[in-house]
Amino acid sequence: MTTTARPPAPPVRSHPENRKWVGKSIRRVEDPKFLRGRGGYIADLVRPGTLHAAVLRSPHAHARIVSIDTDAAAALDGVYAVVTGAQAAELTEPLPDFGPDPAKHTWRCLAVDKVRYVGEGVAVVVADDRYLAEDALALIDVDYDPLPPVVDPERALDAGAPLVHEALGSNLAYERTFDFGDVDADFAAADLVVRDRLRWHRSGGQPLETVGAIADFDPSTGQLTAHTNSLSFTSYLFMVANTLRIPANKLDIHQVPAGGSFGSKLFVTKPLVLAAMCSRLVGRPVVYLEDRVDNISNCDHHGSDRVYDVRLAVTRDGRIRGIDIDTVDDYGAYIQFGVGHHGNALAQVTGPYTIDSVRYRVRAALTNKNQQGAYRGFGSEVNNWMLEQMVDKAARELGMDPVQIRRRNFIRPDQFPYFIPTGNVYDSGNYDAVLDQALEIGEYDRWRAEQTQAREEGRYLGVGLIAAQERSVFSATEFWFWFDEPGAPVTSMPESVTLNVDATGGITATLYSCAFWGNSPETMVAQLVAEEFDCDPHDVSIIYHGSQGGLPATGPGGSRTTVMLAGAVEGASAKIKRKARRAASELMEVDPDDLEWFDGGYQVRGVPEQRKTLGDIAIALHLFKHSFPEDVESGLEESQVFDHPYTTMPSADRKDLGVFYPFMGHACHVPVVEVDIATGEVRILAYAAVHDCGTLVNPRSLAGHIVGGTAQGIGTALYEEFVYDDTGQLITSSFLDYSIPTAMEVPHLRIGHVETPSPYTPHGIKGGGEGGRMMAPAALNAAVNDALAPLGVRVTELPMTPDRLRAAIRAAGVVTGGR
Amino acid sequence: MKPPPFRYSSPTTVADAVALLAEHAADDARVLAGGQSLVPLMNFRLAQPGHVIDLRRVAGLDTIRLAGGELVIGAMVRQATAERSPEVALAAPLLAEALGHVAHPPIRNSGTVVGSIAHADPAAELPAVALAMDAELTAVGPGGERRITAADFFQGPFTTALGADEILTEVRFRSFPGGHAFVEFSRTHGNFAVVAVAVLVALADGRITRSAIAASGLGGTPLRLTAAEQAWEGSTAGSAAIDAAVDAGTAGLDPAGDLHAGSATRIDIARSCLREALERATERALDRR
Ligand SMILES: Cc1cc2nc3c(=O)[nH]c(=O)nc-3n(C[C@H](O)[C@H](O)[C@H](O)COP(=O)(O)OP(=O)(O)OC[C@H]3O[C@@H](n4cnc5c(N)ncnc54)[C@H](O)[C@@H]3O)c2cc1C
Repeated sequence: MTTTARPPAPPVRSHPENRKWVGKSIRRVEDPKFLRGRGGYIADLVRPGTLHAAVLRSPHAHARIVSIDTDAAAALDGVYAVVTGAQAAELTEPLPDFGPDPAKHTWRCLAVDKVRYVGEGVAVVVADDRYLAEDALALIDVDYDPLPPVVDPERALDAGAPLVHEALGSNLAYERTFDFGDVDADFAAADLVVRDRLRWHRSGGQPLETVGAIADFDPSTGQLTAHTNSLSFTSYLFMVANTLRIPANKLDIHQVPAGGSFGSKLFVTKPLVLAAMCSRLVGRPVVYLEDRVDNISNCDHHGSDRVYDVRLAVTRDGRIRGIDIDTVDDYGAYIQFGVGHHGNALAQVTGPYTIDSVRYRVRAALTNKNQQGAYRGFGSEVNNWMLEQMVDKAARELGMDPVQIRRRNFIRPDQFPYFIPTGNVYDSGNYDAVLDQALEIGEYDRWRAEQTQAREEGRYLGVGLIAAQERSVFSATEFWFWFDEPGAPVTSMPESVTLNVDATGGITATLYSCAFWGNSPETMVAQLVAEEFDCDPHDVSIIYHGSQGGLPATGPGGSRTTVMLAGAVEGASAKIKRKARRAASELMEVDPDDLEWFDGGYQVRGVPEQRKTLGDIAIALHLFKHSFPEDVESGLEESQVFDHPYTTMPSADRKDLGVFYPFMGHACHVPVVEVDIATGEVRILAYAAVHDCGTLVNPRSLAGHIVGGTAQGIGTALYEEFVYDDTGQLITSSFLDYSIPTAMEVPHLRIGHVETPSPYTPHGIKGGGEGGRMMAPAALNAAVNDALAPLGVRVTELPMTPDRLRAAIRAAGVVTGGR
Repeated sequence: MKPPPFRYSSPTTVADAVALLAEHAADDARVLAGGQSLVPLMNFRLAQPGHVIDLRRVAGLDTIRLAGGELVIGAMVRQATAERSPEVALAAPLLAEALGHVAHPPIRNSGTVVGSIAHADPAAELPAVALAMDAELTAVGPGGERRITAADFFQGPFTTALGADEILTEVRFRSFPGGHAFVEFSRTHGNFAVVAVAVLVALADGRITRSAIAASGLGGTPLRLTAAEQAWEGSTAGSAAIDAAVDAGTAGLDPAGDLHAGSATRIDIARSCLREALERATERALDRR
């Protein structure tokens, strides 16, 4: 395939105009059970007789394990097993790993020969309760031989740096430079090249319930039944089965509400593997539920940790021609998802702008830290921040207004579908409309006037304005297009729904992937089913099918759930209606073509008295099959497996990565801050956020996403950081030191919506699960820089702690704080 | 995050509590008040007392009373109770203001005023208040009762003059007629202070006659900023006096930095908090006349 020959887009859909339920704000159908404490989290599901596992964590960043003495621990009353890393390696295969060359950085449920970060598991104890298990941990004697740690990602790449994995021969797990478009020509033609070095430190999602699993191995059947709040994606279960050496059809995983994920529970296999290994060993059900320190230090889901050197080619009139990005990303000690985080970035690397060319160099450094996983944005939020920083800097250097430079570069509504230089497509959008609304509800002009006055009073008020993308519905090509050998054809990333209409016409929907992750799959499905069948969404029953015998399902991630479930509901509904129409035609003895669906039943066109409701039809199909022709089966149940609606192969030369994240949301955030230059404190005075993620299903739950995501983005911008000191010690291992914004730090948000339907998805829906956090860090950084502009200060490092702000302000000559 | 095994007693008199403490001294016995510091430490296994003596049922420790110009707060008075107490508002408005900065309401419902002082966290609010107010602590041990002044009590981070065999039964605050202010800088609401400043000031004829200034977060113990007190006492209340006090109070400070603020930033923050506290206390003193 060459760069220009693109496969055709899927057919453009026409969306129904009058919708009853899609687009209506309703109370979430999940809420009553959670609010009453009946959500059924892992800790709620532990039955008497279940044994408890606890993991011994490494106190060292980097050390060889010389020996482990477990005798005293094993001898403790109430202890059933003590398993070291070496023993675990006999009982299990390595954990599923999508990274480059996994054999060179083998990842197991417990460390074997050496520990590679503080918190890495060394041994696991199984005991009657967690207290006893921790008592036993204290009795395990590990002899460590400390090794020099490698902490800084750039130093990690120096020749002679200590090696995290000897087998790899260096700490550079991956490096590649891609050119999209004619970068050199665009830079040569530029009037101005804006440069900067930017630093984004690692933070992560903080779930209320940590990751856990309850495993119950039945030796008589060889079956392993497990409940876990992470993985339950039937599509990828065989990988865990392989780790456990259990046939995939003997593994039944049941969904448990996440209790908060924000990405951090994406495909977490370690707790499940530990619990399952222990259950099989002792022949009893075993629960392993991380405590907070386990989660913070050993969750395998730290967020991005990047250093950027960026150049932006611009013309005098503010046109952005090209961008040259060079980034080092600190992956920690393992690299389970490869550099998929940068695939996410490449999906929207040029933001909402008509930038013609992109150079993207990525180096993945391994260090002695817990590894990266997923965190709301999956690396694209970092790109948003970097790009908006650069655009603001360009505006400053050109003497342009931040609004003006953005408008000048926006992709216009008539340019969609728009292919960005990397080959990904943006399906639709109206960026000026979003910006207009943000300026209005954010009272941009009024705040600018207030700012002028505040400056006269010696106060530092700043107005931030950023425009950024929210890609949705990923295709797995982004995990392998990094390599010249195609890893696979495009994967279909399916999601399934079964709809069952009982004899009374009541509808039950069965889902096959993860339970509640905060993304309200039950509400989404209930509303979509109600839209199809004219019932009340609160009357739709939603159940989950475990993995065994389940239909294909990929689970949440990359803001895909609602779009994919909508496709599955649409397909299953059409099948139900087809059968119901035929049944109704038999019952009324009319031609099926003369029937129309209206208000919950089929009626004869033009003769509304002559109709059968779904209930009338259902009871006939359930109980009186013999009234129907031979080929009609009893019952009314249909399933749909819905595959990714729009994804294409990358070109062989990787000058075009294909379509891999096509449904492109957009948002504009306008925060107003005041910076106390004496202390480095940032106060948020006002905050407006306008989002467009296509057709809204439930504006109320989307607003919840925006608020929650923005709160997390405030954390990323101002408070949250996993800090490892120079020796590799994690010094933020509990919430005493890892600061999270409280309700008091999160302002009231003014939220606005613009709806630009996708031409390619049911109802025109796009994903919206990661929105707030993909914008807020950039927006707040812009606001702080705007506030400090009179001092000539630009902050280029997140989070913007008092220390970092004061250092920058001090460097600008404001030596002592205070008047 | 679970504690190792320990024994638990719940005595009903101070004498019994003291006897239990002596009896189980070899077991590293510890007193439990609101549990909001001790229990997390036990869960992290940073404290591993073999015996925990709960003061919850000890009679007479849960009262707040005014006695001869002194506010007396019993060892089991919860922070939330003190925060809402009219006696505290009247006799020690500085304490009332500081309590609003201690943790979050659910923690204050359990944590005690005396427990916070006994715990002596260098980032805690109440030790600074005790120091500014020249509070006295009543300790009871096998040898009987003694009074310890706040100035003598705090010896280092989490280290006090209290004997391992002693229990604090109450804290006595002397009321200070004049203006007060408690100003804190913390990363997020409800967090421990990065820096907190407690100020008391009395004025006569527009001059500063007496003051007491203490701060948390600037050393291993709360610090009494006597240089600041001396710098402005005798001067006319106003910005010149405040400037002098801020400069004197922060000169020569060399606080250890931590994750939340390095040494230099801490001094910057201290200057800002001190200035705001001096201004607010002065204003209130002027209003009081
Ligand atoms: C989430 C959280 C946030 C917090 N934030 C803050 C904050 O911002 N500022 C702050 O100052 N504190 C904060 N705290 C701590 C809280 O204020 C504690 O309640 C307080 O420090 C200790 O009081 P306590 O009654 O809970 O004491 P305990 O935890 O019961 O005891 C603490 C220590 O004091 C000893 N002790 C207690 N009472 C006596 C006594 N009568 N005689 C002798 N020894 C005694 C105990 O033996 C123990 O060593 C926070 C706690 C939590 C959990």
